[in-house]
Amino acid sequence: MTVDQLINWLPFGTDWPVITFLTAVIICALPVFLFIAVYALVAIYGEVKISSFMADKVGPMGQGVGFHAGKWGLLQPVADALKLILKEDIIPAAADKKLFIMAPFVVFIGAFISFAALPFGQNTIIADMNIGIFYILAVGSLSVIGIILAGWSSNNKWSLYGGMRSAAQIVSYEIPAGLSIISIIMLTETLSMQGINEFQQGTIWGILPNWIIFNNPFSFIAFFIFFISGVAECNRTPFDIPEAESELVAGAFTEYSGMRYAFFFLSEYAEMFVVSGVSATAFLGGWNSPISGFFDSPGWGVFWFMGKTLSLVFVMIWFRWTFPRLRVDQLMSICWKVFLPFSLLNIFGVGIWSLLVG
Amino acid sequence: MSNYFSNIFEAVSTLFTGLGITWRHMLNIRKDNVTLQYPEERWPRPERDIGFNIDDYNVIRSRLQVDIDDCIGCMKCERACPVQCIKIVTTKSGAKGEDLPDINHTGVTSNGTKKALIVSRFDIDMTECCYCNLCTYPCPEECIYMTGGPNSHKHPIDYEFSQYDRNDLIYKFAKEIDDEKLSKYFPQKEEAKA
Repeated sequence: MTVDQLINWLPFGTDWPVITFLTAVIICALPVFLFIAVYALVAIYGEVKISSFMADKVGPMGQGVGFHAGKWGLLQPVADALKLILKEDIIPAAADKKLFIMAPFVVFIGAFISFAALPFGQNTIIADMNIGIFYILAVGSLSVIGIILAGWSSNNKWSLYGGMRSAAQIVSYEIPAGLSIISIIMLTETLSMQGINEFQQGTIWGILPNWIIFNNPFSFIAFFIFFISGVAECNRTPFDIPEAESELVAGAFTEYSGMRYAFFFLSEYAEMFVVSGVSATAFLGGWNSPISGFFDSPGWGVFWFMGKTLSLVFVMIWFRWTFPRLRVDQLMSICWKVFLPFSLLNIFGVGIWSLLVG
Repeated sequence: MSNYFSNIFEAVSTLFTGLGITWRHMLNIRKDNVTLQYPEERWPRPERDIGFNIDDYNVIRSRLQVDIDDCIGCMKCERACPVQCIKIVTTKSGAKGEDLPDINHTGVTSNGTKKALIVSRFDIDMTECCYCNLCTYPCPEECIYMTGGPNSHKHPIDYEFSQYDRNDLIYKFAKEIDDEKLSKYFPQKEEAKA
């Protein structure tokens, strides 16, 4: 169900076009917001548990007498969320108040509106734009404005450092990510997310699924470049120098508390989902089944998309608890000296490949 | 240039090594787990070997325990306590040495002493206790004692008495007695009021 179909379906469409549009948008946005909230709780629980398991610990557990955190600590994310909601909302006296209040929402909007173009299934997409993937890349970098706002308005040198680092990092990593996407768009010849998914139907040589990652060796490398750049754009470890607890307290989020901090948290997890979702769509076949014709219906499409996306979210969590943080200069040199030449090479290679083979 | 590619190769291969290590630790969590869920799980206590028979070792300091059925309410322990962590309230029993079943009062101690007092409050605040053991010596009925050691036949040793609420560390040994039921046995008290 897309937002366009919804607008056509609503009964009072022709009389009040503005109300129809707003109704349709709200009907689409509310489930997405609820989905982000629930998914963030699940992801926080997964992150806590996986990190503990990787460190030979058990994480939150709720055994014994009393209420604790439920069985296996299942209520831990609920308790975390409740704590963040109930905490005092502190605005520093010297902060730039309007920007300080605005910043978390700008960051969240950047992650939230990306969901509009994510194809959850064959028919489950909010807006199947003909520029879908370009739109996601464009609005995904909105969050950098929010982080700079947060860093600037906090009137704190750690925050400002964090904000500037985040800006440098996100702007740099946009380039290899964008170039990797260009190399797959050369194959699919469409910017529409559903178009990219439809390109990946079928099989290669009857065995491998016809996913772009398997299409040619260059797109195989492009997947890793895109995914790692995506991790960097989410400001996740090992690319979390904007937060860098040991250097910058909490970077741009130092002065934030309570609900506003929760929004930064929520948008981090939402961004992880968007990056993983775009990687899954652009390289791993999106809602296509791994075996052609095996549970390949629209309903199962949602399952395959969610499965691939959440696996990539797991990989991000796995990265976070394995790799140490990069230094600022290392971060920049990886981006400009390794990812950029390789992604340019990918574009060249994919071009040659589609001329000779495809 | 070859340095550039060998750097990339080394980076990629070592990153995968690291991922493999964390992956194996995640899968082997049941075997490798080092966390002890403390109040419910405890490390096994090592065998005591202090060089002599622990029954002769009279100054074990663990937690104070009171057998309230044996207590005659003489308040010797309360006076002996250097930090005043024991609080006792008694009332005179009209019937000396008689069982009063509706307030769970036994009239005679295990030593055969007839009780003249009803102990309605016997609180020991273990947050204040300094484990000096001075209260246990004057007790004529030997009903206040440290758990474990020579007294382990009366009460097993309890040296980790952690609680979720600080108020739970005030141990209330006296049986709960309704004031109404208690006053039934003391008609002379009501007369004085009237």
